[in-house]
Amino acid sequence: MAERPEDLNLPNAVITRIIKEALPDGVNISKEARSAISRAASVFVLYATSCANNFAMKGKRKTLNASDVLSAMEEMEFQRFITPLKEALEAYRREQKGKKEASEQKKKDKDRKTDSEEQDKTRDEDNDEDEERLEEEEQNEEEEVDN
Amino acid sequence: MAAAAAAAAGSGAPREEEGSSGEAAVPPPQAPTSAPGARLSRLPLARVKALVKADPDVTLAGQEAIFILARAAELFVETIAKDAYCCAQQGKRKTLQRRDLDNAIEAVDEFAFLEGTLD
Repeated sequence: MAERPEDLNLPNAVITRIIKEALPDGVNISKEARSAISRAASVFVLYATSCANNFAMKGKRKTLNASDVLSAMEEMEFQRFITPLKEALEAYRREQKGKKEASEQKKKDKDRKTDSEEQDKTRDEDNDEDEERLEEEEQNEEEEVDN
Repeated sequence: MAAAAAAAAGSGAPREEEGSSGEAAVPPPQAPTSAPGARLSRLPLARVKALVKADPDVTLAGQEAIFILARAAELFVETIAKDAYCCAQQGKRKTLQRRDLDNAIEAVDEFAFLEGTLD
């Protein structure tokens, strides 16, 4: 069971898929190697989390943010990850923004049908709700500090 | 077993298409959705979040941080698989073995943190 953090494994199917796509066609992977890589990925996340947390604490913040993780990558000597990670982050932020705007638009359209007076109230609620779903504390503070 | 992790993380990250538990069973965790930009991250964010929360020193982690960690873990898997493959290639084998991984860990400095953790 999940007695140690390293036992929290990422799903085997996804790990296998990532490995197969990284390797040339026709190359296989033994079960032992696959599960070792899966375990290594968990250890990587734990180690990166710990490094990132150090940066957050240095910045006197209690919430890990994206730049803490990027700093951790540098610290761990995985600089080659930094550029692709920044690109992924941009894409992720665009997607989140798109989703928020889409759901705001839906609400607007719905409200227009029912009662136009309540439009403004719901828009404010949406902003707070979507930012940090993990915990309720300190959500607004940390979102601004990213860059 | 993973139910505990999934249950603990169940309240978080429902918007990501990878949010469901993705057990270690045979079929892939989710069917591809038709949402635009659906391939930003293949690893389920809920599992990554569970790992992050396992660290007693971590108080909170933002959604973006979890996402980047997931993506970094994917890059890491690709990287270590490729490095291990170089060793297998030298042995003219077409199947990656555990020992190829061990060799890669020993040979590559960035993987030093893994030493002793995979046993």
